[in-house]
Amino acid sequence: MPSHVPNSSGLQRLIAQLAPLLIVCAVVFALPVLLNNDFLLNKVARYLVLGILTVSLGLSWGFGGILNLGQAMSFGLGSYAMAMALKLKTVPVHTGASGLPDFMVWNNVQHLPWFWEPFRSLTFAIAAGLIVPALVAAALGWFMFRGRVTGVYVSIITLATMVVINLVIIDQQSYTGGFNGITDLAQLEIFGVAFDAYGRATYYLVASCVLLSLLVAFAFTRTKAGLIVQAIRDHESRVRYFGYDVALYQIFVFALSAAIAGLAGMLYTVVMEFASPTFLGVQLSLSVVVWCAVGGRQSLVGAFLGAVLVAGMQGALSESAAFLETWTLVMGALFVLVVLFLPKGLAGLAQVVLRWIALRRHAAAGGVAQGVGQTEGST
Amino acid sequence: MDQFIEQIVTGLSIGSILLLVALGLSIIYGSMGIINLAHGEFVMLGAYAAWVFHTYLGLGLLASLVPIFFVVAVFGWVIERYVLSLLNNRPLDTILATWGVGIMLQQAVRLMVGSELRYVQLPPALSDSMDVFGISVSSYRVFLFVVSIALFVATWLLMNRTTVGMKLRAIIQDRSVAASFGINAKRVYALTFAYGAGLAGLAGALVSPLKSVSPDMGTGYVVDAFMVVVLGGVQSLAGTVASAFILGELSGGIAFLQNDTVAKAIVLLAIVVLIRFRPEGLFTARVRA
Repeated sequence: MPSHVPNSSGLQRLIAQLAPLLIVCAVVFALPVLLNNDFLLNKVARYLVLGILTVSLGLSWGFGGILNLGQAMSFGLGSYAMAMALKLKTVPVHTGASGLPDFMVWNNVQHLPWFWEPFRSLTFAIAAGLIVPALVAAALGWFMFRGRVTGVYVSIITLATMVVINLVIIDQQSYTGGFNGITDLAQLEIFGVAFDAYGRATYYLVASCVLLSLLVAFAFTRTKAGLIVQAIRDHESRVRYFGYDVALYQIFVFALSAAIAGLAGMLYTVVMEFASPTFLGVQLSLSVVVWCAVGGRQSLVGAFLGAVLVAGMQGALSESAAFLETWTLVMGALFVLVVLFLPKGLAGLAQVVLRWIALRRHAAAGGVAQGVGQTEGST
Repeated sequence: MDQFIEQIVTGLSIGSILLLVALGLSIIYGSMGIINLAHGEFVMLGAYAAWVFHTYLGLGLLASLVPIFFVVAVFGWVIERYVLSLLNNRPLDTILATWGVGIMLQQAVRLMVGSELRYVQLPPALSDSMDVFGISVSSYRVFLFVVSIALFVATWLLMNRTTVGMKLRAIIQDRSVAASFGINAKRVYALTFAYGAGLAGLAGALVSPLKSVSPDMGTGYVVDAFMVVVLGGVQSLAGTVASAFILGELSGGIAFLQNDTVAKAIVLLAIVVLIRFRPEGLFTARVRA
C-alpha cells in the first residue's frame, strides 16, 4: 500500500481516516453541554476511561496480533500509582499530617515503606503511572518475544502474570491495602486546578486524554514501525526474513499499549476515587477483550465505542438485578455471534454498510462519482 | 514423619481432583487445539446435574454418574457442532467463543436455579474414613483417586485401542490425508469434544460433595486445569497425569510452608517460565511432525 505520499489523494485518505476519530471526540467534548448532570457525567467519564483502556488493547491485539489477556495489569498498575500519590496527600485521622496511611496503621507498619516514599511527588507518580506499566510490559515482552512465544501462549503468559501480580497485591495487605485496595483519597490537583470526580474539570481531563490516546495510537499505526507491526501480525516469519527484528517491534507496541493502559488506570482512580485489586482482575481484563472484539479490534475508534457502548449499557441496566442478569446472558450471546460472524466487530459492519451506500450512490450517479468507494474505506 | 505422609496424601488428593478436571481439557486441547474456556462451566454443569438428580429424582451420586456424563456430553456436542466447527482456521478466536459460551452457560444456570450455594451429599457408603499408611483419610478422597486413575486408563484405551481413537490420532497427524482416507473429521471432532465435556461433567459431579456448588465455581477450575495441561505437554495423556500430581504435591507443599496465595503465585510463575522455555510441556515425547 503506497501510503502517506503527500499528494492530494493521500491527504484525502488521511482526512477520511481521521474523520470518525475527530467526530467521536467532538461528541465527547460536547456532551457536558447536553448532559447537565454531574452524577451522569461521572458515569460517562468512567466509560470513556474504559474506552481508552480498550483502545490500548486494540493497539496490541488488532494491530500487533498480540492477544494480551492481562491488559488490566497495566491499567491496575497505573491506577495504584495515582492512588498511592493521592493517598499520601490526605491527612490521616490518627497520625496527623504527613503521617502513615490509615491501612498501614491498622496493619502495624511503623515507617512508610521505601517504595511509597517517592510517591509524595505527584509528578513522580504520574510519570510512574506511565513508565512502570510500560517497563513491566517491555520486560515481559522481552521475556516472551525474544523466545518467539506466539499466539495462545502469549495469552496464557499475560493472563498468568496478571493473576500473580493481583495475588501479590492482595497478599501484601500492609503495603497495598490488600483486598480493600486504597480508599479515601485526596483530590488530584494540577497547576491549581482541582479535579473533583464529579466536576467538569475531571470530565474534560478524561476527554482530552481520550483525544490524546486516540491520536497517539492512530499516529503510531501510520508510522513505519506501525506498518511493520501490522505486517508481523499478518505474517511474522516473512517479516523476519526481510531482516527486521520482529521481537523489538512487538516489544515496542506491547509497551506503548501498556503505557496507554496505565494512563487509563490513573484516570480511573481519579474518576472512581479509589484503587482496588479488581482493577487488575481477570473479570475486567476479559471484559476489555469483549469490548474490543465487539467494537472492532482493527479499528481504534471502533474499540473505543465498543467499550463505551457495552460498558455503558451494562451500567444503565445495573439498576435492576434481573435486568443485569439477563443482559449478561444476551452479552455472552452477542459476543459469540460477533466472534463467529463479525471478526472485525461493529466497525467492520459499519465499513461494509458505508461501502454499500457508496456503491449505490456510484451506480445512481452513473459512474460520475468515481473514487468515493475508495475513500470510504478503512478507518 | 506422619506430617510428611499427611502432606503427600493431601497432595495426591489435590492432584486427583486436578487430573479429573484436566483430563477432558487435555483431550480437547491436545487433539483439536482448542483452548476451551467453557471447560469450567462444563464442570459446573456436572455439579449442578448431580444436585438436580439428587434433589428432584432422589438419585444418589454414584447412580447418577453415567447419566451426568451423557447430559454434559450432549452440551459439548451441540457447542462443537454449532459454534466451534465454524472457527476451523481461527484458533485464537476459539478462546473468545468458548469464553462467551461459558458466560452464557453460567448466566443461564444463575437465572434458572439462582446463585445461592447448593450442596450435594457424600455417598453414604463412602462417608467414613479409612487408614492409609497409618494415617486416617476420608474414603471419598481415596475413591476420587481411584476413579481419576480409572478414567485416565479408560481414556488412554479409547485413544489407543479403538477405531475412533485411531481416527482421531490420524486427524491430529494430518487432517487432509485422514479425510482423503474417508475419515469424517467433523464427526470425530464433535465426538471428541463431547467426550471431553462429559469428562468435565463427571469431574464436577465427583467434586460436588467436597465443595459447594455455585454458578461461578468453574472459573477456578479452568485455570488450574489449564496449567496442568500446559505443564504436562499438549499431546501427552501420561504427561497430564504426572503434572496433575506434581502440581498437587507442589501446591500442597508450598501452601503448608507458606500460604495458599503464595503457593498459587509461585506455581503460576513457574508455569510462565516453563512455557517460555519448553512450550511443548515437560513430558512430551518427540512426535513425528
